[in-house]
Amino acid sequence: MDLKDIKPDVTLDARGLSCPMPLLKTKKAMKGMKPGQIIEVLGTDPGSKKDLPDFAQKSGNEWLGVLDDGEGFYRFYLRKK
Amino acid sequence: MNDERGYLARKLKEGHASLFERTWPSWVGGMLVAFLSILMFAWERPWGVVAGMRNWGDWLFTSLGIYHKSVQSPLVNYASVMDLGLVFGAFASALLGREFSIRTPPRLEAAKGFVAGILMGIGAALARGCNVGGFYSAISALSLGGVAMMFGLILGAYVGLRYLLWELEKFPPRTTAPAGGERSEGGFDWRRIQPWIGYAIMILAVLVSFRYSSVAYTKSGGLLLLGLAVGIVMHRSRLCFVAAFRDPFMTGESRQTKAVALSLMIAMTGYAIIKWAGLRGEMVYVANTFLFGGLVGGFIFGIGMVIAGGCGSGTLWRVGEGQVKLWITLVSFSLTNALVRYYMDTTGLIHKVGKAVFIPDLLSYKWTVIALLVLLGLWYLAADWNEEKEIVVVE
Repeated sequence: MDLKDIKPDVTLDARGLSCPMPLLKTKKAMKGMKPGQIIEVLGTDPGSKKDLPDFAQKSGNEWLGVLDDGEGFYRFYLRKK
Repeated sequence: MNDERGYLARKLKEGHASLFERTWPSWVGGMLVAFLSILMFAWERPWGVVAGMRNWGDWLFTSLGIYHKSVQSPLVNYASVMDLGLVFGAFASALLGREFSIRTPPRLEAAKGFVAGILMGIGAALARGCNVGGFYSAISALSLGGVAMMFGLILGAYVGLRYLLWELEKFPPRTTAPAGGERSEGGFDWRRIQPWIGYAIMILAVLVSFRYSSVAYTKSGGLLLLGLAVGIVMHRSRLCFVAAFRDPFMTGESRQTKAVALSLMIAMTGYAIIKWAGLRGEMVYVANTFLFGGLVGGFIFGIGMVIAGGCGSGTLWRVGEGQVKLWITLVSFSLTNALVRYYMDTTGLIHKVGKAVFIPDLLSYKWTVIALLVLLGLWYLAADWNEEKEIVVVE
């Protein structure tokens, strides 16, 4: 599936936050989601490109990928298990 | 002919991509930093970070007439040029990977960066160094104060993390329904030219070091280049001392802890060889920080670095990447450290933070190296074990 066609269920704005806040906030936000739902995280910390897939792998959630289209921030996508 | 030129261009492009567009494994970063740190010591002096920041603070305060201290120009001061190298190395690395951008923090983050810098300035004054000079290079230099700071940092990182989790409860993340359709594709993507600027900075750094050499500051020039290399390595591998101390409590993740432990094993062995062979003074970087200065300084510094999201070296490479929060931290960190250190120097407090203990005086070189390898090995194994069993993970 092309990441651009993903329809997320919720969006979390973590732009401007530095490590480890984007990860902690994503973790917490996903606790309130239903299985199968997709979260879109907006962020500016390049560290998240490593932290979020690691977290997904460790927690059993699905890492869908990251969009970096020159908007000035990244869009990360995860699906709750 | 054309084919060959096409081949070369393609190979150069591939080389660039594999070096600068991927994140290097943390352990690779750790090993390279260890080698660079040993080279710094062999060249002139151990790797340090906060002394350079203090030089900037002293220089500013002395220029403003707030206090007077004979202060070297930041352009030639050894500690300062290592730091400048680190910042520019990370800046070049971010550009090479097309990752540089000015990242403006929300107000709370900016305030946290400011306060964390003050804590780090105080902590680094008590421990006579930050995570680098007080811990990494101090243990490398076989100083017992470095071991004291290690335990202080572990405790401080734990408390700092408790604060972050408290903040998360107080201000829970707000998710919104996705707005949809607002995906903008900007006009000219100036990131396309970033790698060229990155290469230009690296070439410029080499030219600057030649210039240093031609005016008899060869040592400064060398340290600038070594600092630059540290900046590139740390940024590319995102080697993070904060994560090394924090992650075992936060996620149980042990990768950074293991990378730092491995790095220290190599650096310590290298420093031990240099000292043992009599190439450098035995008491170099053995500060009087055992036990109080290292433990308490490490504790305060540890809280600060977790809240800032960057330690001494981590603050510098994130500054080079464009993280405005860490710019704020750098300012409050440097100025606080200069002031506190000035106060400690003038009141004589500096002599009262502990004893200078060179471990080989107690154990001989051989057993010191073995004992430190065991200590670092245990840290490595404990982090690995904790990742599996999540023994000290907070939530």
